[in-house]
Amino acid sequence: MTDVSRRDFLKLARDGFLYLSGALMLGGVMRFLDFDPNPAPQTIFELGPAANYPLGTKTPLTEIPALLIHADQGFIATSLTCTHLGCTVKNNADGFACACHGSHFDVNGKVTHGPAVQPLKKLSIEITKDDDLILYTE
Amino acid sequence: MRKLIVISSGILLLALAFVWWMNSRQPQPVELIPTLTNQPEYCLTCHADLPEISASHPVATFGCVSCHGGERLALNADLAHSTMRGGKNPSDLTVVETSCGGGNCHSGNEAENRDHIQRVMTSIQSTYAGAISSIRYTFGAQKDLAAHFGVNAVTDEHTQTGITSLNAFDAAADANPMMQKFGENCLTCHINAVPREGEAFARQTGCAACHSTEKHKLTTAIPYSQCNACHNRGNYDLRTMTFVERTDHPTSRLQSYYQPIAQFTRCEYTLECIDCHTRSEGMGNGDIHANKKDIQYIQCKTCHGTPTELPLTKTLTDPNDVAFTLAFLNPVVNLKLGDTILVTEKGESLWNTRVLSDGTYAMTGKATKQYFTFRPVMGSKCTQTGEDQSSAYCHTCHAVER
Repeated sequence: MTDVSRRDFLKLARDGFLYLSGALMLGGVMRFLDFDPNPAPQTIFELGPAANYPLGTKTPLTEIPALLIHADQGFIATSLTCTHLGCTVKNNADGFACACHGSHFDVNGKVTHGPAVQPLKKLSIEITKDDDLILYTE
Repeated sequence: MRKLIVISSGILLLALAFVWWMNSRQPQPVELIPTLTNQPEYCLTCHADLPEISASHPVATFGCVSCHGGERLALNADLAHSTMRGGKNPSDLTVVETSCGGGNCHSGNEAENRDHIQRVMTSIQSTYAGAISSIRYTFGAQKDLAAHFGVNAVTDEHTQTGITSLNAFDAAADANPMMQKFGENCLTCHINAVPREGEAFARQTGCAACHSTEKHKLTTAIPYSQCNACHNRGNYDLRTMTFVERTDHPTSRLQSYYQPIAQFTRCEYTLECIDCHTRSEGMGNGDIHANKKDIQYIQCKTCHGTPTELPLTKTLTDPNDVAFTLAFLNPVVNLKLGDTILVTEKGESLWNTRVLSDGTYAMTGKATKQYFTFRPVMGSKCTQTGEDQSSAYCHTCHAVER
C-alpha cells in the first residue's frame, strides 16, 4: 500500500471538494433548465403486445381514455372523451353515455342524444413489426 | 487565490444545501391536465382535499382554472390566487359570464335551455325591481308601481312584459333619506348582495346563492333551508326602514315560515320550495318582470286542478324534452319516454310528478326524495269555483293550524 503524504491527501480532498461543488451546481442548473411546467399532453401511447388484446375483447384504456376493440376487421380505438365538454363517457350495452351532461352515443360513437353534437373520435392504431400496438390520439 | 476558491465552493455547497432543504419543505407539484383545456394546472398541489363540486363539473374534465381563473402554473399561493375571478365564488354575478358562461355552458341559446345566466340577470332575484319600485312609490319617489330600477342596469330587447330595461338603482344618490336607509339596510336579499351577518343568512352570491349548500358543492336539489337564507328571516320595518330579524327560534318546519298571519296547507310546508316552484319562477324566464307576482304563478290548482278541470298533463315523447335534462341533473326519478307528467299552464314540465294509472298523481321530492301521492280536486267534495283557486281560497278549508 502506497503511503499518501499529508500534502497529497489535502490536495485530493480540496480538489474533490471543488469538483463536488461544481457538479452539484451544474446539476442544479440543469434541473432548473430542464423543468417544463407546461408540458404538452401525451399523444402517443404504447399499448404492448397485440396478443394481450384477443379477438372479441373490449379493453378500456383509462389513462387515455379510450376503448380498444379487437373486432373481426382489426383493432378499433374509440376515444372516451365526450365531444361536448370533455368528460369521460362510459361504455354500456347501448353504446356510450356521458355522466356529466347526459349525452349518449351509439356503439359506433354516433350521437343519439345531446348536448354533444359531434361523434366520439376514432383514434389511430398502429401495429409494429414486433406485433406491438401503438395508439395515437392525434 | 486557492483559498478563495475553496471558500467560494464551501459557500456554494452551503447555499445548495439550503436550497435543497427549502425545496424539501415545499409541496411536490401536483399536475392536472383537464380534458377541456388540455393545459396543465397545479391547483391540486394545495387543493386536492376539496370534494368534487358536482357530477356535471368533474375536476378531471374542467380543472379549476376554467371556472375560477387564477394562475394555473403558479405554486406560490398569492400569485396563484392573484387573478382568480370572484374570490372563492366564480358564480358571483359580476364575473359569472366569464366563469360559467359560454355557448356550451350556461349562456347558450334559449332553445337548448342554456340561457341560465341571461335569465338570472333579468330575474327578480337579481334585479329586486319589485321591492325597489314599491319602496320608491311608498316614499313618493315615483308616481306608480312600475319598475324603473334594478340593483344593476339590465336590458331585454325581446321582452314579453313590456319592460325593456331597468336603470341601476343608486340609493345613496337619492335625496330622500328613507331611500338612502333602504339602500343601506334593506338591499341584502337579492343574489348580488353580500348577505347579512349571521348563520341564518349564510349563503354565497350569484348562482351559488341557491345552488351551493355546502363548501365546494353545487346542487340542483336545493333544500328549503337554502331558500330560507333570504326568505323567512324577518321583515322590513318601513317606519325606520330597517330589516328586523326574527327573534323566535322555530322548532318545526311549519314554524319556519315567518309570515305571522299567513296560512299554509300541509303540502306547502312538507314539500321543498323547488318541488312546486319552477325554474322560470326561481331563475327567471329571460324577461324583465316588475315584481315577484309577475313571475310566480304556481298555484294549488297547477297540480290539483279544479272541481271542473283536471290539472294539465303531458306524455313525454321527445327524448330531448327538457324534463329529461332536469331529471338527469337531479336523478330522484327514473323518467322514461311514454311517462305522463303534470305540466304548468305555461308548459313547464313538473318532471318529478307522474300521473298514476288510477287517475291520482305522485310526486317525488327533489331534495328529500320522499314519495307523495295526491288526488285531483275533481270528484272530491270541494265546491270552490274554478276562478277562486288561489291559495287563499284553498286555505279556507285546508289550512294547517300553527
